[in-house]
Amino acid sequence: MIGFIRAAILGFILLTLIYVLVGIYSRSVRRERLEKEWDSDPAREGLTMAERDAYIASGMEAYKHSLRRKLIVLVYLIPAAVFAVTVYLVNYQ
Amino acid sequence: MGANLWKWVKRVFWTLVVIFVAGFLHYTLPQHDIVRVTNTYNRLTTVSTENAWAYSVPDSGTAEGTATRDIRFIETAFPDGSVMVYRNEDTGWIWPPYFKYDSSNLQAEAGNLKSSAEAPKWVVVTHYGWRFPIISIYPNAVSVREATSVDERIIPWVSIVLVLIFGFLVFMVRRMWLQFVERMVDPAMAEVGEAQDRAKGFFGRLFGRK
Repeated sequence: MIGFIRAAILGFILLTLIYVLVGIYSRSVRRERLEKEWDSDPAREGLTMAERDAYIASGMEAYKHSLRRKLIVLVYLIPAAVFAVTVYLVNYQ
Repeated sequence: MGANLWKWVKRVFWTLVVIFVAGFLHYTLPQHDIVRVTNTYNRLTTVSTENAWAYSVPDSGTAEGTATRDIRFIETAFPDGSVMVYRNEDTGWIWPPYFKYDSSNLQAEAGNLKSSAEAPKWVVVTHYGWRFPIISIYPNAVSVREATSVDERIIPWVSIVLVLIFGFLVFMVRRMWLQFVERMVDPAMAEVGEAQDRAKGFFGRLFGRK
């Protein structure tokens, strides 16, 4: 049983690391998309850098409340579910 | 010459990585054998440094250079008469991630399915690991069930799905790394480059020709 607790703590630390990395990646991809959207739009040519920054800031604010950001919690949920299913299939079938 | 050598070093390196990963997956992923159980027993087994990696992690406190443990074994025969010996050990909670703790039950099930060569009862043994007699390692049986027939066709769904997930993870790690380089490393390097140019200007003014 002590082995199970050790594995759970280790798994939690590992998944937290992955969660943070995926969060950084996802945010970076979103920011890049917003930048490209702005830069490739001919209607926005000639607008100032401050307006561009404001556009990206509002886009990132929307991202903070998006479903996509919330789905990153699956990084924890999927391994936990796989763990439970494995335990069941290996020991109770 | 230098570039050529470097190309070969890279090639050898990636070949070794692929061999290592393939071997690792082949060792860890579940496989199925259709066999006939001939005997089940347990015996004191010496686990030494050379083959400890292929046995379960001992309970803390017994991790020494050489340890003798009582391990359950399942002896089987293939339809063609060749044999296979499985060990039957709990896996523990970390690696390999089978989380098996019902070894006693499995041993009882295997014993219950024992049959003779005259009246064979074919069973499917799910296992992982390798049998290398020279270093005394045995695949670990994970589950056993009766086969529908001696030539039952088994599709290794679990392995297929896990390999696909593994491929997806490698792909994602690569994408994340490339994104990191594009967004963090490259701009930083560009900044360093600009700073160097500025520094060149400064030192150029100091030491350069007037």
